Order: sequence, then C-alpha cells, then structure tokens
Amino acid sequence: MIEKINITQWIIIAVSLVAAPFIGALIAGLDRKVTARMQGRKGPPVIQPFYDIIKLFSKQPVALHKLQILYAFLHLVFMMLVVVFLAMGQDLLMILFAHAFSTICLVLGGMSVRSPYSRIGSLRKIMQMLAYEPILILIIVAIYLQTDSFLAGSVMSMSKPMLWSMPLLFLSFLCAVAIKLNKSPFDVSTSHHAHQEIVKGITIEYAGPYLGIIEIAHFYETAILFFIIMMFWQTNLYIGFGLETLAFLAILILDNTFSRLTTTWMLKYMWSIPLFLSIANIIWLWSK
Amino acid sequence: MEITSFNLLLAVLIIAPVVFGVVAYLSPDKLRSMSIILCSVIVAAAGIMITIKPNNTFELPGSEMIATILEVAIVGIILYIAMTIKNWLILLMSLAQLGMIVAEIILAQTGHTVTHSYDFATDPLTKILILITSIVGPIIAIYAIGYMKSHQEHAPPTAASLGQFFFFFIAFLGFMNGLVMANNLKWFSFFWEATTLCSYMLIGQDGGESRKNAERALLINTFGGLAMVAGVLWLTVENKTESFEGLLAAKAVIPMVLLCVAAFTKSALLPFQSWLLGAMIAPTPVSALLHSATMVKAGSYLVLRVTPGFHDSPKVMMVITIIGALTFAGAALLAVTQSNAKRVLAYSTISNLGLVVACAGIGTPLAYAAALAIICFHAISKGLLFLCVGRIEQKIGSRDIEDMGGILYRMPVTTSVALIGMMSMLLPPFGMLLSKWMAIESTIRSPLILVFIILGSALTVFFWSKWIGRIQTSSYHPKFNKESIDPAMGFSLITLALGVLLTGLGSMWIFKEFLAPITKEVFAGRTDISEELWSVFNAAGNFAAVTLFVAVGIAFLAYWLLVWRRFKETDVRLPFLCGENAESTVYTTSAFHNSEGIRSYAFRSMGDKIENSWSSTTYLKNFISEKKVTIWLNLIAWVIIIILLGEAHLL
Amino acid sequence: MFNAVSKSPWVVHFNCNSCNGCDIEFLACLTPHYDVERFGILHIGNPKHADVLVVTGSVNNRNARVLQNVYNQIPDPKVVVAMGVCTSSGGVFAGCYNILGNVDLVIPVDVFVPGCPPRPEAMIDGIVKAVGILERKRKGEIFPTAPKPLCKFKPSEEQSTEKTAIKEEKTV
Repeated sequence: MIEKINITQWIIIAVSLVAAPFIGALIAGLDRKVTARMQGRKGPPVIQPFYDIIKLFSKQPVALHKLQILYAFLHLVFMMLVVVFLAMGQDLLMILFAHAFSTICLVLGGMSVRSPYSRIGSLRKIMQMLAYEPILILIIVAIYLQTDSFLAGSVMSMSKPMLWSMPLLFLSFLCAVAIKLNKSPFDVSTSHHAHQEIVKGITIEYAGPYLGIIEIAHFYETAILFFIIMMFWQTNLYIGFGLETLAFLAILILDNTFSRLTTTWMLKYMWSIPLFLSIANIIWLWSK
Repeated sequence: MEITSFNLLLAVLIIAPVVFGVVAYLSPDKLRSMSIILCSVIVAAAGIMITIKPNNTFELPGSEMIATILEVAIVGIILYIAMTIKNWLILLMSLAQLGMIVAEIILAQTGHTVTHSYDFATDPLTKILILITSIVGPIIAIYAIGYMKSHQEHAPPTAASLGQFFFFFIAFLGFMNGLVMANNLKWFSFFWEATTLCSYMLIGQDGGESRKNAERALLINTFGGLAMVAGVLWLTVENKTESFEGLLAAKAVIPMVLLCVAAFTKSALLPFQSWLLGAMIAPTPVSALLHSATMVKAGSYLVLRVTPGFHDSPKVMMVITIIGALTFAGAALLAVTQSNAKRVLAYSTISNLGLVVACAGIGTPLAYAAALAIICFHAISKGLLFLCVGRIEQKIGSRDIEDMGGILYRMPVTTSVALIGMMSMLLPPFGMLLSKWMAIESTIRSPLILVFIILGSALTVFFWSKWIGRIQTSSYHPKFNKESIDPAMGFSLITLALGVLLTGLGSMWIFKEFLAPITKEVFAGRTDISEELWSVFNAAGNFAAVTLFVAVGIAFLAYWLLVWRRFKETDVRLPFLCGENAESTVYTTSAFHNSEGIRSYAFRSMGDKIENSWSSTTYLKNFISEKKVTIWLNLIAWVIIIILLGEAHLL
Repeated sequence: MFNAVSKSPWVVHFNCNSCNGCDIEFLACLTPHYDVERFGILHIGNPKHADVLVVTGSVNNRNARVLQNVYNQIPDPKVVVAMGVCTSSGGVFAGCYNILGNVDLVIPVDVFVPGCPPRPEAMIDGIVKAVGILERKRKGEIFPTAPKPLCKFKPSEEQSTEKTAIKEEKTV
C-alpha cells in the first residue's frame, strides 16, 4: 500500500501529523480559557498547554517500571496512525480499530503497575470504551448506508451534509466525544482538573516526559474528534467550523454544569438513550 | 481402487492416528512419547502434502457395508456406556439412532436405490480444516506429553490411565480428519459419533466429579447425533441420496435443518452451550484440542458446507444467522462475569463459533470469507491460550484470573506468549480482528444482526482487556527470572506463538491467496450475488495489516532507543498510596512484597499497623447474574430453534 | 529549551498536621478572586506530576516518613514551599512533645512563608519566589542544603508486631 502513495499524499500526511497536536493543544487551551471566563476569572493564556508540554519534557523521567513506558509509546504511535489513516481517507472501521488499540494500550499501561488508583482508573476507562464504542460503529454503518463505501474519503461525495441525515447520531456522537475527552459527567477515569476521587486515575504513575507523550496523544485525539465533528457538515467547511465551535461550547457547558456521576450510570445511560436514538437513525436510513 | 498417492495420504491421515493411538495405549511411558512425536510428524507432513495436491475424490469399494457396520458399532458403544452410567435419556436416544440405522439397512435391502457418490473428497474448505487438525493438533499433542506428566502426579485415584488418555487423544486426530474429508453422510455421521465418544472419554479422564460433566456432554451430543441420523434417513428416503453433493443438489431443506441442529449441539451454540462449560474440567490439552481448536469447529464446518446451497430459503438462513448472532452477543455478555480463566475461554469460544455460524447464515461472499477467517485464526489463538492457561495453572495452582498477577516476573516466557495470544484475539493487526472487521462489513444490510455483533465485539474488548491487564501487572525488577519449562510444553507454546505472529503478519496474504479463491469457487455461477456484494468483497483487501505492524515496530524502536537503555534504577519510584507505602525500598529482590503476594497493596494504617488492600476487577455481578441471563438466553434460543424447525415444516 | 518551567509550575499540596487555616487560604488562591491558574499553576493531587510541593503544618514523628515518601516521588527539578509559621518553628505549638516543628528537618525547603495564616497574596509571592528558584535549578545551579539530622522516627521494621511480619517469598 505504501507504494501507491504519491508525493502530494505524503505532504498531506506530514502536514497533518505536525499540525494535529498543535490544533489539539490550542483547543485544550481554549477549553481552559473559556472555562475560566465562565467561572468569572481570567484563566491561563491560550498557549498554556504548550508550556505544559515543554515543561514536562524537561523533568526527570521517573516511572515504576519500563513496561508502562512502552505502552505510552504505543498509545502515541497509534493515535498518530489514526491521523495518518484519516489523512489518506482509509477504511473507517480500520481507523476505529486503530483508535481502540491506542486506548487499550493506555489502559494496559495503567494496569501494568501495582497501583490501586491506576488500576481503578484503567477499569473505568474500559467501561468508558464499552459505553461509546457501539455508537461509533453505528456512525460508520450510517455512512456506509449512504455512500456504499467504508472509505473515509467517500463522505465528500455526499450531496447533503451528514448532519441532515444523521441528526440523532450526531447527538449521540457528542455524548461519545464528551466521554472520550473525560468531561463531566463522564470523567470517571481521569480528568484535567484537580484531585479526582482516584487522584488522576490512569495517568497517575506517569511522570515527566512520559506524561508529556500521553498529553500529546490526547491532543491528537482532541484534534481527530473535532475534525470529525466538522465533517458532519462536509459540504461547506465554514459552516462545519461553526458547528465545531457550537459543539465545543456545548461540551464545555456540559462539563461545567454537571458533576461527576458513577460509571454504572454512564454505562446504563449510554446503552439506553443514545444507543436507541442511534439505532432509530440507522433504521430510518436503512429503510429509505 | 488403485494405490495413488492421494489415497495413501488419505489413509495416513485417517488411519495412522488410530494405529498410533493403539501403540500409545499399549506402550510404556518413554516409548509413548516417541510414538506420539512420530505420529505428529507423520500427520503434519501428510496434512501439508494433501493440501498441496489438487482436489481429488476417493471411493472405497464396499464402503456402504463398512460404514454401516462402523456406525452400528459406535452407536452400540454409546448405548453400552448409557447402560453402565444408567442415563435413560441417552439410552433412549441411542436406541432411536440404532432404530433409524436399522431402518436404513432394511430399506437398502428391499431395493430402495440410492444414487452413489464418492466417499471422501478434498476441496478447499476441507483443506483448511485438515491443515488446522494436522498442524495445530500435533502441536497440542506434544504439549500434552509434557503436561500430563505432572498432571498424572496430582491426579485422583479415580483417574484413567495415561495410555487410555493418549489413545483417545491421538485417535481423535484421525476421526477429525475423516470427518472433514467425508462426503458420504454415513461416514460423516460415523466420524461425528466417534468424536463424541472421544470427547466423553477425555472429559471424564479424572474420574469422580468429571464423570457428570462428561455425561452431560454425551447427552447433548447424542441429541445432535440423533438429529443427524434422522436427517440422513430423511435424505435417503425422500431424495434418494446420501452425500453432501446430493444434499446440495436436491436442495432438501428438512435434512439440512436437522443437520444444522446437530451442528449447533456440537458447536455448543445457544441453547446447547452448557456441555462445553462443563467440559472445562478436563485436562487442558483436551480443552485446547477438542473444545476450542478442532472438534467444536466440526459443527461450524458442517454449517459452512451446507449453507451455500440454500440461499433459496432466506427465512431458514435468517434464523440460523439470528441464532449465531445471539450466541455471539450472549456468550460475550456472560464471559464478562467470569473470573475462572477456562470458563472465560470457553465462553469466548462459544461466542466466536456463534459468529462463524452467523456469517455462514448471511450467505454473501464476504461473510463466507469472514467465517473461514475466523475458523483459521481462532483455532490457533484459542489453542495457544488454553495451553498457556494450563501452564500457568500448573505453576501457580489456581485457575482464577485474580491470582494471575505478578507472573510476568516469575514466568516471563509463558506470560509473553499468553500476551501475544490474548492480543491476537482482539487487537489489530492480528487475524481475528480482520475477520471481525469482515463480519461487521458483511452484516451491514441486516440491522438486527449488526446490533448483536456490535454489542458482542464491545463486550469482547471488555473482558479481554481486564484479563490482559491483570496478567501483566508487575513491579520493577532489574532482571527477569529464568524460567524452567518442560521442553515439550515450551516447544508447543513457542511454535504456536510464532504461528500467531506469522499468520497475523501475513493475514492479508492468507486472505488473498487462500480465502478469496475458496470463496470465489463456492460462489461461482451464483447469479443472485450482486455486483455491489462482490465489490465489498474485493475491497476487503484494504485492511492495512502491514502498516499496523510497522507502527508497532516504530513504537518498539522508539522505546528501545529512548528508554530501554537509558532507564536507570534511580529513576524508579514507589506507586502512589498517599505516602503510606509499607515497603521501605523501591523494590525487593524477591518476587513478592507481602504475605498476600502481588495481589494486594500493603500500606500503613492507623497505629502503624500494616494493612493489605486489594482491588479486584469488575465482573458486573450485580447487573449480570450468570444463572438468570443463561435461563433467559436459553429460553429465547429454544424458541428460535422451534421457529427453525417450523420453517422447515417439521413442526 | 526556553524556560517553560516557570510558565507552568504544578503544585501538590501536603498537609502535615495543620489546623487547616493555611490550607483554606491556599485553596482560596485558586478561587476567582486570586486566580493563580492564570500563571499556569495547576493544583495537581499527585506528586509524580508536580513541580512544587506546598507543605503546611508542623511535621511530627508519624508523618515525617510520609512527607519524605511524597517528596521522593516528585521528579526533579522540584522546590518546596513551606506555608505558615508552623512549618518553620512550630508556630503556636512550638516546643510541644508531639511535633518536630521545622519541616527543614525532614526535607530541604526552599521558601518559607511566615504567617498564621499567611495571606493569599503572601502565598502567591512565596510561590513566585519558589518558581524562580525552580527555574535556576532547572538550569543546573546547585543549591547547597544543610545535612539533615536523622529523623527521630524509627524505620518501620522495628515497630512491626507479629501480625504484620512481612514474609519473603521464595524466588522460583
């Protein structure tokens, strides 16, 4: 497959690999700034995440053992692979599985250490995956039903924006994004804010540059998710950008108004309302 | 009948294991190991050679009589067993089977003509299963040599002898080969019953409690055997044929449905899954060979062989698909609640067999290829996992997942092999994920099945991740322990692990070179398959397996360059227990830190007392009660079976 | 690498045996009225992610070991800020039988912030000073620290009772 890539595609891949973490970091920085303004304070500068990453890489690399670091590397490499696949317009199920691999590597890294908080955080992360994965597969199925192709590039050939034909799926996808970005009420496994009940959960035993690697992978993930949200209005990317901003604000408001709820509530909720809405949407598309 | 190389290979594949089984039964220990290894080499070589040869058929003169005599003999043996264990249900069913066979004999005598066809044949589907049985089977047999040595030391006095064990174990390989090569349904049902008998004897190896589980297995499999013999009788009477070829040509729905019901019992789909769970009490090589890699595949093989001819009965196919999909999701749900390692593997096997049957029922080229792929990759991975669990169980003395923490230091080789096996079950770029991906893509047009498959695969990820996480928990050790492993067991583990890695790396090549041509051949001349379905099938070549391996390689390389050589002991820290860690040093040179082993975290509590805390994995036992869910699933599955029989106008 | 440590100092907070007065004032720094997050300071609960260790309360025999444990888990470069007068001399509890008094006896402190409790502005001032020291530590300046007297607290093994004896597991 590598031999079929021409020079333009290589450039696109390189640009997206370099640009994605920058975009993700900016989104994270905006997140903190807007949250601060919502709470009536000034908040850190928007480029604060860059300072965080640079600081992390200048710290002493401490860890509990070597295996967990391998998992951090795998987590980052596969998140980058997802970006590469998206840039090349590859099979969407492949992309989903590569993304799942990445998350599982993070989970395994958390479980590979003898730390109770890390272990509980990892188990909760698996339950988060259990909660949102059906919805992601259903979105891919919906795209297939409309374009007869699993390739990511095929959505550009649709005449109408995806939001028109998949509104319920879009709402469920927003819930899935909230879970993936660890926003309340779903921030059961780890979060960017202060002490959790399990003190940072999965990432608790990562320090210095290894935490930096996980943070960069998180930026990649943020960029990917918001890119997909933008693609829900793929016919006019400016409106897509506006959609993205609205989704960003909605998730932020959700995060700041809700407090953390339990993992079992999250499973029950995601497997009832969003799942049924998504299945309804699929059945409507299938019967058309 | 001339002696061609094909006929010779056929005879070797079927008869040689039985002969070697007798030799193993009669010989003392040292000689037994030699004969098993010799048998393995011969069978493996024969299997590979017959696969390379072009497809061929074989007709045995006088096979009618031989097959009937053998069938009567086998049913007679089961009847005898039923009488000794006083199980009246099995007795009744065996009597009914015997009655039907006798009816067939009478019919043949009174001039009822039946079109003859060849008795044995090899075609591509057969070859895949021959390869699995002849390569994976002997590897497991070699493992068994090492495993049973120490198993027999701890065996209870009611256990059967090693000679009897190895007789049935090795002879089973011959029966399985015969089963997949048989075209004549009489031979097929003989081999089917023979594998049931082997399974019964091997499950009851340890005696005592395991006899009950063996009885249950015999009961359910005899029910399947009854359905099979009934189907063959119907086929002989109504359609005047007794071969697979004839069944597919005549498009006889009723025998096909009866054969499918028999297949469901053998493959332990819902509602017949309880025997497989009980069979886990057998020694681990038995679980690996019979109950994951080969025998239970016989049922799915049967479904794969008959369903391509029945696309004209969409309702029947739909019901078969629904049972398969329900099994896939239901068994995955139940596997989440299990903490016994072998039961988790058993539920996972049931789940994957359900997926095979579901794909076979869908009937499109991509689904067929997906079913083939699952059979191939699952056999290797699951066999490997059972072997690893057997070795781990011998080492730590427990089958519970919760006890498997910390084995990464004690047995690094076994743990790495187990990790490879488990990752191959659910992660890209290994073959199982390729097949799941193809399965999802092929069920696109049926939303109900799709929902089951999606829920099932999400649950699969859940229970595998829990287990993988537990198995590789460890503390810092500057050097790994040198593991002492029995050479026979070590050989099998490493070979299968290499097999998993190589088939994973070459999964796309396997698909293009083997599975795609087989599918094209099976669906040749089918005018009802649309262009779109063929294009989806061809697009399956987009699975970027090599890219994923390259990515893994990049991660390993970066890790090795940046971390492995630079990580110093002074960089190691204690885990965060709010500062109350009870260990005073960062690590100890011994494997465990406190009396409860690596399961628990020792911390200093009030009064400076050292307490142990422990975090287990989630089994969701409050939400999923295994008993209740099994009852509901069985109920729904029985209803579906009755609908299936109704669709075939049997009820 | 340009100086990012001073732009993003993450704080972990440890309360030795404080009356919680200093803790409340410290947490007040995070509120919108004082808002230390605009300097990039995050209140992290986990020593492995932190740069600055904020200690309140006078150390006693029992949590000296815990404080050393938490301090050891913080990766270099790190600074310690001791808030409140209890941390430097014991404050109102100076001379009591149950406290050690000076946090510097247990871990090397970089900045003392006196007050009972110190005002949030004083706390922020102390943290800013500490961040300056942190930056110089990152550049490689070695800060001489006084040799620590041995901790009065005995290691754990001598205080174990029979029930809590740790068994050595045989290697395989």
